Amino acid sequence: IQLEMPPAPSAAAGSCALSLGSRFLFGCRVTAAHRFAASPVQPPSPLHQQPHLQPCRQGRRWLRPELRGVYKPRLSPEAMKEFWRLSGIGPDHSRAKAADQQAEVPPEIKRLYQEALPPIVSQDYRDPIVESLHRAEMMRRRRVINIPEFHVGSILAVSVMDKHAPNKVNRFVGLCILRRHTGLFTTFTLRNMVDQVCVQIEYELYSPSIVSIQLLKLERRLDDNLLYLMDAPHSHCTIPFDMVPEPYSRNDPVPVNRERVRLNPPPWMCKWHLHGYQGIDLEHLYSYLSDKDVAKAIEFSKAYKRYDLLDQYLNRVPVPDADYAFKDIFIQHQELLQHQQQQQQSSKKSEVISKLTGTA
Amino acid sequence: MATAPHTWLRLVPSCRSYSKATRLHKIDYPWKDEPKPHWVRQFEARRVDADLTPENRDWLRQWRLQRVRDAVASSSEAAAAASPLKEPPAARPLWTPRVSQRCGLVGIKLGILPMWYRNGQKVHTTVVQIPDQRVLRWVPPEDLGNYASLREMRPYRLNQSFLPRWLTQQRWGLQLVGAVPADPANFTAQWCGIFKAAGLPPMRKISRFLVSPDASLQPGACLGLHHFRVGDCVDVVARTVNRGFQGVMERHLMEGGPAAHGSTKFHRKMGSAAGGGGPIYRGKRMPGVMGNRFRAARSLPVLRVNTKHRLLFIKGFTPGPPHSYCQIMDSWMLDVRRSLDANPPPMPTYFAEDAPEGGYPEDVYHPDLLPYDQPLELPD
Repeated sequence: IQLEMPPAPSAAAGSCALSLGSRFLFGCRVTAAHRFAASPVQPPSPLHQQPHLQPCRQGRRWLRPELRGVYKPRLSPEAMKEFWRLSGIGPDHSRAKAADQQAEVPPEIKRLYQEALPPIVSQDYRDPIVESLHRAEMMRRRRVINIPEFHVGSILAVSVMDKHAPNKVNRFVGLCILRRHTGLFTTFTLRNMVDQVCVQIEYELYSPSIVSIQLLKLERRLDDNLLYLMDAPHSHCTIPFDMVPEPYSRNDPVPVNRERVRLNPPPWMCKWHLHGYQGIDLEHLYSYLSDKDVAKAIEFSKAYKRYDLLDQYLNRVPVPDADYAFKDIFIQHQELLQHQQQQQQSSKKSEVISKLTGTA
Repeated sequence: MATAPHTWLRLVPSCRSYSKATRLHKIDYPWKDEPKPHWVRQFEARRVDADLTPENRDWLRQWRLQRVRDAVASSSEAAAAASPLKEPPAARPLWTPRVSQRCGLVGIKLGILPMWYRNGQKVHTTVVQIPDQRVLRWVPPEDLGNYASLREMRPYRLNQSFLPRWLTQQRWGLQLVGAVPADPANFTAQWCGIFKAAGLPPMRKISRFLVSPDASLQPGACLGLHHFRVGDCVDVVARTVNRGFQGVMERHLMEGGPAAHGSTKFHRKMGSAAGGGGPIYRGKRMPGVMGNRFRAARSLPVLRVNTKHRLLFIKGFTPGPPHSYCQIMDSWMLDVRRSLDANPPPMPTYFAEDAPEGGYPEDVYHPDLLPYDQPLELPD
């Protein structure tokens, strides 16, 4: 390669065209004239004519990629859009849309088996065999007891074995304010007023000491948890123990209770204005706060999180893993239905036999 | 005449005063936990068959893996049971109280599963998978002095004021066990040579167990899932979770300083390092890497055995993160040893003839454990 002398500096900066060899002089100790004679970058020539390694010791050894001419092929907008659609994260993906992507499994499975999803932890702590064991044991437990579909905001009646109780069974009715963990570790918390005292009891969903879980009212709230009821008037969580169960249909969508709770005046147990709760009357809440706190709360509630990719990546179950878990559960759910049918038939048979033997 | 290592190793007495600080034998030194054999390089990133096409390279890799699978299958207990050239079974050693110590198993910790007892009490079980493993070598107690790892001891070991008892008493020998057979192309020729003598394919993990001579196993013997029975108490030894570089408050539970009240730059520090202008003694607790040490969880009962996935459900928690290796062996606790005298385990290991009639079911539960498909019945 022959190094050509750069052209003489001209008055109009940017008008002189650089020759091929003058690129090599950028890294060398060039005079100010050559630097100011730099023109806009020319279109790149083929790589074999333009090595990216410069023959100099001081200064820039490797040319920048845009000068080297190494242009990576760009994806077309359609290909990029497909990539973002398949990834499951991004501003176009909301939780509801991610759930709809798993269209092969009926939606009632996702409602019934919310705890079948794998836990949201780092990949080092997840194991497919252990997760499949959790799912299998969950379905085995559901052969013994019927666990209804419930959400945070539903009213449940739970009967637990208690050797000190008169009938050996302790029944508690309450509003479900929290539902956490996954698999066999799933727990839910019921809240109610008992003799003017607020009581919150956390139950393990798959504990064998639970005799029955009865759904009294199927409902959903605007939030994932209702912990703010601890600082709300007691009327919001007073549920009569003799409440009659309300009928519901599995095919209908879960009714959403959009009531907004007015909290008691501070001090509170927690800074409720900083967690993005939708079920609190925000105007009433902000009336208790200073301007600084209100600004902080409003800043928090801005909908920027849908653009926070790392937040979505870290705090959501990957779509293929969720898909696999629900498919696995769906197969076992069908086996469970068969098992229940067989049990009904055998119980009918035993009834008939006992009637015959009784009369005979 | 066999020479014990503590006779030919000249233990240089410490030049410092033999104070309490230097005699603290509970101090852990990082070099204590080297994986052995550290004098053999295990992995080699050589470009095997680099001059072949990708398809041929894949075919050769599959051919190598199939040879590994065949070697594993031919040395398994199922093959031994089905072999037409059945030799009369060699006399199996008897369990001798206060003498016998069996070989252990290499396991891979997978995670945690909660279960319940029949009285309603909850118990957390660690799920450990038992991979394919074979016996590599037996080093009798008399040859411990000549064994390479002790012979190539590093110089700083010579300054220790004592040697472990298994080395000085020479009651037990070393049983080397290899686990997780893999593609020979991943390893160096030196590493593969360790397994050649036993006629085995190379494996990713080599562990050593302290075993009494009457329970020793010869190279090539197969160690299986049913080496431990439901109800046996085991010790699980593994490397703890690496917590990284930690300060003294996290690492040694020191108090630190006050958060307020005029404390100037003294909140999480160690404070004084020595007393009266003296030197900092060896073993002084200071910041450093926390975790990544071998620790043993003792006397944990095996509550459940799953034959489909080759799992042991061990009560409680074991050291180490998920997917880490662990060593499982009969517990060294005295009450467990006495209970084993009454109910001896299969010696020296489980063979096919120990299986019950009809084989094992998929899940074998401890009698106190409640399976999930059974309702809880509390006694009145």
